[in-house]
Amino acid sequence: MSVIGAQTANINATAGIPPPRIARMRRATFFSFVGLGTIVGTWLMYVYLSEHGMRWSEWGLLAVFLPLYYQLNVGFWTALFGVWLMNRPKPDPLDLWRTLKQEDVDEPITASTAIIMPVFNEDVTRVFEGLRAIYLSLEQTGQSKNYDFFILSDSNQTSQWIEEETAWLELCRQLNAFGRIFYRKRRKPINRKSGNVSDFCRRWGKRYRYMLVLDADSLMSGGLLTSMVRIMEKNPGIGILQTFPKQIGAETLLGRVMQFAQALYGPPFMAGLDYWQCGEANFWGHNAIIRLEPFIKYCALPALPGKEPFGGHILSHDFVEAALMRKAGYAVRLLNTDRGSYEEGPPTLVDMLKRDRRWCQGNMQHFWLLFAKGWHPMSRLNFFHGILSYASSLLWFFFLVFSTFLAATRLPHVDPQARLAEQLLLGVTIMLIFLPKVTILLDEVITGRMFKPLSLRLATFMSSMADTIVFTLMAPVLMIFHSQFVVYTVLGKGVRWVTQRRKVDGGVDWAECFFTFWPIGAIGLVWAVIGWFVSHSFLLWISPILGALLLGIPLAILVSGRSSGYRFGLFLTPEETDPPSVLATMNGNLAEIKGRIHLPPELEKHHGLLQVCLDPYVNGLHVSLLRRRKNIHVSRTYLDQIAQRLIKEGPQCLNPQEIKAMIHDTETVTDLHYRLWSARDHELAPFWATAIRQYNLAASSPFTHTLAQREVLTD
Amino acid sequence: MKGFLRILTTAQNRAFMEAVNIQFAPATGTEEEWNEAYARLADYFRSYQLHNRIRRTQLILETLRRAADEHRKDPTRTPTAHSIEQARLMMREWLAAIYSDLNLNEAQLEAAGRLGFHLSGGPARWPNFFLDKENLPRDMMEAMRSAVRTSGPGMQVSKMTPRDMDLGIVSEVAEDTFDRLGRHPILRYSVLITIVGSVLGYLYSLFG
Repeated sequence: MSVIGAQTANINATAGIPPPRIARMRRATFFSFVGLGTIVGTWLMYVYLSEHGMRWSEWGLLAVFLPLYYQLNVGFWTALFGVWLMNRPKPDPLDLWRTLKQEDVDEPITASTAIIMPVFNEDVTRVFEGLRAIYLSLEQTGQSKNYDFFILSDSNQTSQWIEEETAWLELCRQLNAFGRIFYRKRRKPINRKSGNVSDFCRRWGKRYRYMLVLDADSLMSGGLLTSMVRIMEKNPGIGILQTFPKQIGAETLLGRVMQFAQALYGPPFMAGLDYWQCGEANFWGHNAIIRLEPFIKYCALPALPGKEPFGGHILSHDFVEAALMRKAGYAVRLLNTDRGSYEEGPPTLVDMLKRDRRWCQGNMQHFWLLFAKGWHPMSRLNFFHGILSYASSLLWFFFLVFSTFLAATRLPHVDPQARLAEQLLLGVTIMLIFLPKVTILLDEVITGRMFKPLSLRLATFMSSMADTIVFTLMAPVLMIFHSQFVVYTVLGKGVRWVTQRRKVDGGVDWAECFFTFWPIGAIGLVWAVIGWFVSHSFLLWISPILGALLLGIPLAILVSGRSSGYRFGLFLTPEETDPPSVLATMNGNLAEIKGRIHLPPELEKHHGLLQVCLDPYVNGLHVSLLRRRKNIHVSRTYLDQIAQRLIKEGPQCLNPQEIKAMIHDTETVTDLHYRLWSARDHELAPFWATAIRQYNLAASSPFTHTLAQREVLTD
Repeated sequence: MKGFLRILTTAQNRAFMEAVNIQFAPATGTEEEWNEAYARLADYFRSYQLHNRIRRTQLILETLRRAADEHRKDPTRTPTAHSIEQARLMMREWLAAIYSDLNLNEAQLEAAGRLGFHLSGGPARWPNFFLDKENLPRDMMEAMRSAVRTSGPGMQVSKMTPRDMDLGIVSEVAEDTFDRLGRHPILRYSVLITIVGSVLGYLYSLFG
């Protein structure tokens, strides 16, 4: 069991908080460039538009242009500052890695840390094999004894829940990790993920000094986990330390393009962000370490005014927690990490949009917090940037709509100053869009930061060209969807809390692509017809956007497919060519499970339920983990009736609520086990008759269904 | 039903041949019913991961014998039901002997006991002592007792309550507006229609 170490001693309590002088100077520099770029761009636009005086539509265009150009400038300068930081000979004085000396690394870690992984109906195999890889990697450091692992489940699907329990037990058994890896299932998933984490903090938070938050698809190396605790120990002024999680495990074209782009462009952007965010960075909800005492004290989330989706429970809790932590006087820092922190991305465009819808709603909710009192100005700016990241799509849409109106009512531009402004603006905008990419690419080709072999650097160059095409085609499609999400949120259409799909089973779902993207194609077509009547030159100007909209369906099918360019050496990342050991361990185990023979599909679908009812050990485990309720809210007769129906008609005839009610009751679960085994074949639903016959043949061990079979570790 | 138990499957046949040839002559129930009870018990004990066929067959026959006695007393229930009930009673008696001083109720005893047997490696290490309450090896008892698990460490409860947040005048006004719009969907859609109408009107004026 973990030991609660003494508080960090003999260290300046504000260590880790960047000196205000440096932070002020960096922000003044950065925002001077951003401000200058925005002003120049807006002024050029004004000069161009105002040749014949400003009409309402021109003022409208200028109004949406200003925030868009600001956003473009922020991205541009962040990337350029990042590239400069990565190449400057003098080390960054705020680099947190420099706070660790050799003697710190040699010292044993005494601080207690909880590594928590909140899960909600996730792929059980991926969750527990990921956890195993992290655990083993941490063991290799020799510093694992003060780390405890918690799976915090909110899964509401019965089979998923049972499989989590069996996987937990088997993992603990194989790793000899009882008392080190814990499993907790909430009966009621109040306040979703943030409620799940708060529940952990309330129950066990006092036992630990740090909490390392992982997502269900996170993967972190033991080396980084220990370094993060050491950095936190050396810098008591830091409340949250966020790593840069790199994407891994992509199999579709979209996934691999995103993965590649993140690997290539991500590090300079992170360095740039770190430059100007200093101690007021953001928390992204996972792959980060949190100082628990202030987190419990200051970071409980209030409910927002109004009802969901715009008000109510805060969806994107991470930004708010970062702001609350900063408000409490602790720094929120980014840790530049090249390796050791990973996550998975959405495999298809539809999955990406589903995720974006949730994120959009979460970010739009932050509107309420923009004007709240007591925030650090940078926290306010972070909220604003979060809102702008989605609202900018709607602004871009309005920009294009205004442009169409203006083209329809076009007045000739003859003034040379206006024409010059137009050409300059076009040139500067192209530079703002493409120069960061070109600079980063050149940096990679010259320095070989990602790949040393020249052939791989050339492949990176080609991949970068190819990803430009993919992103150019995707951007207008995303614009329409994000605009729709923003409008939906404002109109009060909320999102449900659903599980993220992280892998594609089988091929592309053509019907899903068609029904999701046909309206995009229709918008493109209507717009093109309007453009044709407005002006042919305008149609030509807007054609890249309209072309992308028209190609929405084939694009979605193409990027969701498994033809991902790997065969041609495209979109390679260092994690693919030279997987870190933590990733190799996980992939090896996942491959072992993939090759297994499974039960017939109808049994496989309800496998968890089947196990808890039939298997004496799984039944015992489930009953042992259930908390006994003092007052049962549903009557015994009702539970008996459902149990009878389950036996006679099979699980497919019960709704999830009925199954859940039964599975939450210890007596019913125990009785069900015996009632099923006691029934004669003709008294059983065909599902159970088959299950009883086939169960023993398929299950070599009831607990290894979702987990790789590895030798049991002994002390 | 008189005579020997009829054998059902090849695997069970092999298991039976390996076992001691024991006579089983239930007074009540049909041959078909007892065969079914046999098959069910065979599957049931297999689900305990008992790979020792001899022990499994011994257990099946012992359970069937007890079930036959019970069936004579209460023939309204099927031999299969009696057999599984007897297996459960044997399990309870066995676990009660192992966990006698742990103060567990019946459901906890069964659940924790079964799990304890699995976690201690019982099916592989002590298959011959499974359900044998007369012979309880000390190491098996110790292993099973130490394998009673909980899913989390002891709680140390903390308070985590949100602090009051002054959202400022803009949020207050916005809240009021959104609240009003939220309570009156007609008003909400009227606002939307007005905005769309204004845009269309403006367009009409542009082109008109």
